[in-house]
Amino acid sequence: MSEFDDFRERVRRWCADHVPPDWRTAQTGVSDAEFAAFQQAWFAELHAAGFAVPHWPREWGGGMSVGEQIVLYQELAAADAPRLVLAFVGIHHAASTLLVAGTDEQRQRHLPAILDGELWVQGFSEPEAGSDLASLRTTAHRDGNMFIVNGQKLWASGGAHADWCLLLARTDPDAPKRKGISYFLMDMTTPGIDVRPIRNAVGDSHFCEVFLNDVAIPAANLVGAENAGWQVAQETLGAERGMTMLELAERLGNAGFGWLVDECARSRSDGMRPLDDGVVRDRLAQFEIELAGLRGLCRKVVEGHDSGSVGPADPSIVKLFYSELLQRMTDFGVEVGGLPAHTVLTKSMSSGWESGAWALDFIGSWEWTIPGGASEIQRTIIGERGLGLPREPASA
Amino acid sequence: MSEMAEFHDELRAVARDLLDKAGDEVEWRQVADAGWSGLEVPEELGGAGASFVETAIVLEELGRAAARSRYLGHVLAVGALTALSPNDSRDALLECIAAGTPVAFASGFTLLNGVVSGRAEFVPDAEGADTILLLADDDGTPTVVSSPEVVVVVQPVLDESRSLAIVTADGAAVSEAWPLPVDPSALHDRAAAAVACDSLGVAEAMLSATVDYVKVRQQFGRPIGSFQAVKHACADMLVQTSVARHLVNAAVARVAEGSDATIAVAMAKSYACGAAVEVAGKAMQLHGGIGYTWESGVHAYLKRAMLNRALFGSPAAHRQRVAARY
Repeated sequence: MSEFDDFRERVRRWCADHVPPDWRTAQTGVSDAEFAAFQQAWFAELHAAGFAVPHWPREWGGGMSVGEQIVLYQELAAADAPRLVLAFVGIHHAASTLLVAGTDEQRQRHLPAILDGELWVQGFSEPEAGSDLASLRTTAHRDGNMFIVNGQKLWASGGAHADWCLLLARTDPDAPKRKGISYFLMDMTTPGIDVRPIRNAVGDSHFCEVFLNDVAIPAANLVGAENAGWQVAQETLGAERGMTMLELAERLGNAGFGWLVDECARSRSDGMRPLDDGVVRDRLAQFEIELAGLRGLCRKVVEGHDSGSVGPADPSIVKLFYSELLQRMTDFGVEVGGLPAHTVLTKSMSSGWESGAWALDFIGSWEWTIPGGASEIQRTIIGERGLGLPREPASA
Repeated sequence: MSEMAEFHDELRAVARDLLDKAGDEVEWRQVADAGWSGLEVPEELGGAGASFVETAIVLEELGRAAARSRYLGHVLAVGALTALSPNDSRDALLECIAAGTPVAFASGFTLLNGVVSGRAEFVPDAEGADTILLLADDDGTPTVVSSPEVVVVVQPVLDESRSLAIVTADGAAVSEAWPLPVDPSALHDRAAAAVACDSLGVAEAMLSATVDYVKVRQQFGRPIGSFQAVKHACADMLVQTSVARHLVNAAVARVAEGSDATIAVAMAKSYACGAAVEVAGKAMQLHGGIGYTWESGVHAYLKRAMLNRALFGSPAAHRQRVAARY
């Protein structure tokens, strides 16, 4: 990796100068508004350094090689830098959707705006459309140059702060369910949108219900053709998977694993250290080995994305393996942390999925195994697209 | 595609074709004729001057075929010889090896007063080898020794695709003794990496056979592969195999470039060899009653995966090496 030594040193120095040393404490138990302000300020700092969207094409402000991105994420994790929680959907999912399927006008309108702090939310799931996303019921009726949208979206992470929404709505109720859906960009300030936070199992209210009542969206905000929204969503979901996972895998592999080792190396009240137990050491080694595999898989997906050699199931393999590994690692943190682990009642906002608050991290890991295609759905995708196994008769 | 990638694809395709035709056992003559015995032998000694990356491809294909061959023993011996400083007697032996002389390698011996003594168990492919190279301690200097007086006693194991033996030397005369200029652990790493490659091939073969089977086997009026219980089990096999492939590739690259490969090999050996047993076991399960028959051959893969897991360090032993850094 010596070719990246200079770059690594540059990122390391930047982190030393810019990562607020006390942000974890300062971000624990803060109000939603303070959290959002901190996120925006951190995004602006990263952007000023050219570190906010390294995975974007060069002409839009990115263009970092995969090797450099890995170094960047490693150093950010090593410096315990805050994560971009609020900007996540914008810089990953919205951007990849616009780059893959958007019009030039849409790209010009939104990509620079995202760099200026425009926040996005995903409006896909509904109360009756979770794993069976294609059965969504929110409707969009064309009325001249506008679409009028009615319905309800669920699990919209960051909905309370979002400026724009990636929206799937049914435009042809008579077509087969995957052929009557359209993909829209929806301005969250449009009249008729009501966002209500839902308290999740960890206790915070990051995700929301979004009620849509006669919301008017200009036809120019369609992404892809009318009724081709399902195909657009399929194309863009896979495209961003590797990018998002690259960062998360480096975080889990650096900071997350390091904390787990630290937790095991801490002397307990009886003077014993879990790390001196052969079983504990074996589990840690197994995690490190799986992390090495995960990081390699992520890298392959990102590099393959550039060269067109990503296997049809690779993004699902990475998501499934990451989320279950995160769950097992945080579970182990709770187990090894013993009763004291249960006295940590809050976790720092803006931290990674592994924050060292193991009990909350473990609970929070279901936010990875359920959304974005639950593990069961990923296994079905891997079986059908990766191995060519026959579909269930019911969904054929 | 790069020239190297093309060469690798061709090597793989030729290996798969040859092993398909060979059946359970591939004759050593065929291996030599295919050029695999000389892969890592320098070109001026009649070899291909290739690296462990190419050897790894052959090892993986042998695992995929669960083929009985002398290749593992050969790979260990070649690893010991290529680690030595070039000299006439070494070069002469490598030349013979490239041309097809069968060899093996055993460690744990002592060189004292010009004779070699010691005993090694579970030595791959010692039986029938023209030369068995011994790794011997010569008063603190690791030394590769050849002796015409070693005794070989076969150790039958459940996996019939491997030939293992006890190799004994009791004050045996030494025909050659070459000081080893590298840490002997590098030879152990190479052996463990070689077995990991084999297990990767085993896992891939079992995944592929299972997928083919569950696509055509019908129960309840539909292919069993359409049931989630079966499909998801296959998905997990693919995930494990994909992770194993990455770890094995990383370890092979490090062994090939001659850098310290201990951790990468420990990761690959423990994960891939563990995964291969799970994948082969799941293959037997998903093949149902047919999979449990002798004729299906699934058991041969499961037994090979089980033996691989135990050869050159158990998963737990390799994880201990990883954990020694915490």
